[in-house]
Amino acid sequence: MTSFLQAESHDTATEATAPARVDEGTDHPDRIFSYRELARLDEALTMSSRETGLRFTLYIGDLGKATRARAEELHASSGGDPAESVLIAVSPGQRVVEVVTGAAAARRLPDRACALAVLSMTGSFAGGDLVGGLVNGLRQLSDQAGHPWRRPGH
Amino acid sequence: MTVVETLLVFAAAPLAVVLLLAALTLRPDRTRSRYRPGQPWEHEAVWYEPHAEHGPAAGHGGGHSGGHGGARPALEAGATGRPARSGGPLGGARGTW
Repeated sequence: MTSFLQAESHDTATEATAPARVDEGTDHPDRIFSYRELARLDEALTMSSRETGLRFTLYIGDLGKATRARAEELHASSGGDPAESVLIAVSPGQRVVEVVTGAAAARRLPDRACALAVLSMTGSFAGGDLVGGLVNGLRQLSDQAGHPWRRPGH
Repeated sequence: MTVVETLLVFAAAPLAVVLLLAALTLRPDRTRSRYRPGQPWEHEAVWYEPHAEHGPAAGHGGGHSGGHGGARPALEAGATGRPARSGGPLGGARGTW
């Protein structure tokens, strides 16, 4: 009787949208953060990027032996305009965090401000709070960078 | 009070309570393990990116409102395949914990 209702389901995800699907939980056994934590990270990243006009990206994973060189490589390939990108690269296994700022971003985020944000992040990381540290670090960085003089397209 | 009743009240009941609490607290944590400093990190490397200003995947139809996209992490598998462009003289900071 209900057979006419049984339609075959199609996966409509494209290459761009598939990684953002959170309702298909079985595909990702390697889950680092809970949804709640991911949402916090997501909001922090998106809001700090929108407020400052800079592009904040976050990398969590191994950085190899030369952590700074690897982080700068990642920054160069992080997409967008690298000059206006800020990469926060965290390697929890090595207990290293690297902040890389592009040329234009470095004018608004001096190294001292980055060091201060790194200090607050490492404080949280040492307590085992990865997400809290990242969110606070992002907040500090975006507060320091402030608003852009003129927002493109607005 | 018979011997059996005494045993049930003073031995079996406390034992049941203890076992129940032990099962609740000592069971192996099957959820994801929380990060603790010093532990090896055995997860895949992940990228998190901000959403674009006008919603994710611009040009992929307007059905995806910005308010709904807020809880969706932008997750990328890796940086391979992207062109590497240098961002000029780089700044930043480094820290360990």
